[in-house]
Amino acid sequence: MRRRRFLATSAAAAGSLLLLPGRAPAQGGAKPLAGTTLNVSCWSHPYAKLLTLFIPQFEQETGAKVNYETPSFPIYNQRIDIELSTGGSAYDVLNVTFIYIGRWIEAGWFVPLDGYLKDPNKTPVDWGPGDFLKGLTVAFEDKAGKFYAIPWTGDIYMAGAARYDIFTQAGATMPDNFDALLATMKAINKKDGVPAFLAENHYGWSFIPFLQGFGGNVFKNPPDDLMPVLDTPEAIAAADYFSNLVRTYGPDGAISYTYEMVVSALKAGRANYSPNGQIFLVQMGAPDSKVAHTCNFSICPAGPKGRFPGVATHGWGIPVGSRKKDAAWQFIRWAMSKPVLEQMIARGYSSITRRSLIESPEFKGKMTINGHDIAKIYVDTVAYGTQGYMKYRTVPVYPQVDKQIDIAIQNIASQQMSAKAAMQLAQQNSLQQLKRAGVNL
Amino acid sequence: MAFERASFRRLSFARRGTLPATARWRRQQARAFALGLAPALLVLAAITIGPTLYLILTSLTPADPVHPHSLADFSHPLGNYRTLLGDGEFINSLWVQAKLSVVTVVLQLAIGLGVALLLNARSRFLEAVRTAFMVPMVLPPIVVAIVWKIIFTPDISPLHRALADIGLPVHSLIANPDLALWAIAVADTWEWFPFTMLMVLAALQMVPGEPIDAARIDGAGRLAMFRYILLPYIRPTLVVAGLFRLIDSIKAFPLIYVLTNGGPGTVTEVTNYYAFVESFNFSDWGYGSAIATLMVAGVLLLSWLVGRLDAGEALDE
Repeated sequence: MRRRRFLATSAAAAGSLLLLPGRAPAQGGAKPLAGTTLNVSCWSHPYAKLLTLFIPQFEQETGAKVNYETPSFPIYNQRIDIELSTGGSAYDVLNVTFIYIGRWIEAGWFVPLDGYLKDPNKTPVDWGPGDFLKGLTVAFEDKAGKFYAIPWTGDIYMAGAARYDIFTQAGATMPDNFDALLATMKAINKKDGVPAFLAENHYGWSFIPFLQGFGGNVFKNPPDDLMPVLDTPEAIAAADYFSNLVRTYGPDGAISYTYEMVVSALKAGRANYSPNGQIFLVQMGAPDSKVAHTCNFSICPAGPKGRFPGVATHGWGIPVGSRKKDAAWQFIRWAMSKPVLEQMIARGYSSITRRSLIESPEFKGKMTINGHDIAKIYVDTVAYGTQGYMKYRTVPVYPQVDKQIDIAIQNIASQQMSAKAAMQLAQQNSLQQLKRAGVNL
Repeated sequence: MAFERASFRRLSFARRGTLPATARWRRQQARAFALGLAPALLVLAAITIGPTLYLILTSLTPADPVHPHSLADFSHPLGNYRTLLGDGEFINSLWVQAKLSVVTVVLQLAIGLGVALLLNARSRFLEAVRTAFMVPMVLPPIVVAIVWKIIFTPDISPLHRALADIGLPVHSLIANPDLALWAIAVADTWEWFPFTMLMVLAALQMVPGEPIDAARIDGAGRLAMFRYILLPYIRPTLVVAGLFRLIDSIKAFPLIYVLTNGGPGTVTEVTNYYAFVESFNFSDWGYGSAIATLMVAGVLLLSWLVGRLDAGEALDE
């Protein structure tokens, strides 16, 4: 009896080893995925690039061969959009891009992962599906509650100051609301020659927390009612306020600053305060940054109608056309396992999606920059994401309106149009574009 | 007389004997040429005519990859074209395109011609200068765009800094709606005037020496020499260079994508960029294809018009 129990326990241990990420031993001398080739693609995010270093571990442990590519964001999306639309089997594991969630998941181009997550033979309980931040996983659920991707990043909108010493000299602190923000920008602008405010020129992302903070929105009630509402008094007031910040307190040519340029300007101390993604703002604490000892961070400021920091995510999913879905799931499970993510934290990855790791001393240590706890800002911001105000961004036709918002803010900031005229034009053009896209308005 | 008759008979005989052979030879030659050309023509058809036909067919549908059935939906074949007629952003993009094309082609022809005239002499130094002028043209377009992005960004630009240092500060050109298109035209001209220069230089070096010497003896000044001797020789080259640049200007993309993204607002949104946005950002393949089809038609029409203009001038001469 004792012998039988011993054998049973040994078999269970061996079985769990097979299931544990990174611990799959040979089965009868063969590795579990020997002879399997997985084609994996993700856009060139720091996480995706970092993963390249660890893929040989997966290959060695499982015997699989992984063809891994990380093209740029627009190239990735265009290529994968075409691939998915044709139902091709070229890829086994793909990133589900946040802005394409509505399009790719609603079209049925990805496999629900619930079956894999609930099956203990495919996912050991201690892998911890519930460990991922709810504010991120909610983005990958469809209306029926099915779940399609494991989030590997949380891109949150927060605020950073490169030269907080200038704030201090002016008697200011990190602004918590729009009124304080405007007053602070007035107080610190051009002090020590540094422009006070800088936002990336993708205004369909950087302007929205201000739009929603003023009580406006992009659509009436996304995803069910996609009537654009860009010409409401709230939207016009928000556009006026935000464009004024860009024009009056930004560097010369502020509307031409892409996110890379914003990061570079902040790290060099050529601009001061910026609402931006945490993945970019934390670079102010990098060894090559000139502002590592003067930077400060805060949660995104609140408007008169509340606080709506942007929360975006991207996740690993399995396209329906894949012919190696089980192997693909093994790859995802491995890539998002704690051991692999711990190695990434050690190498400086800052956009972790597992709560247990975010709360770990290692991550806290890495994410404390110039004495400021970014991890707390991150978790607090992601929690806002559960309120559902980011739905505007995952509808398939958002790119059409996104472009009109970019144009409107540029028109206002470059003084080609008043806020009212620019937002009315944006509304009119958005309506045309949406009608052409077949949206029932 | 008898001699003439005999000669004529010999000639007729010779003709009767040789003409059929020549015709046969020519037929064989034509067949050989056709066979030799066939693979190249087939490849050309596969890589140009095929996709063009596909483009035209797609433009007759509301193609959208999310709805695969839309790729073969020809129920409203002219729907995209009708929409284009009332699309203010498309019409604006045509106008922006026209301005950009005119400015860049004129600048590139003028600067290319001027530099070619300056460099049209034999010396090792000038050869080195010519090579240096070629650099912008051989750089990848995206590198050119990044170089100009740095130049046009005031807080990192050596040009802006130098101007500020001498008391002539200049605000950002690419963020200024009145100057952004000019800024792109300057960058495009920097990149492509060497092409015009190279073609004109080649033409200048083919000009025979005799008319130049004769004009010199007649006391012609430099301007008269250019106007009456050089220009007539190089005019066909200028027309061809202009046509090439015109077609290329319609394909302008990397500079706009990197420098302005079509902004501020839509002041630098050319038709090509608009087609890109419609096709790839909005996945409206049918509409994007309709824009692209009109662009192809426009380029063909332009080529034909310029070709006729050139032929007409050649006949006049």
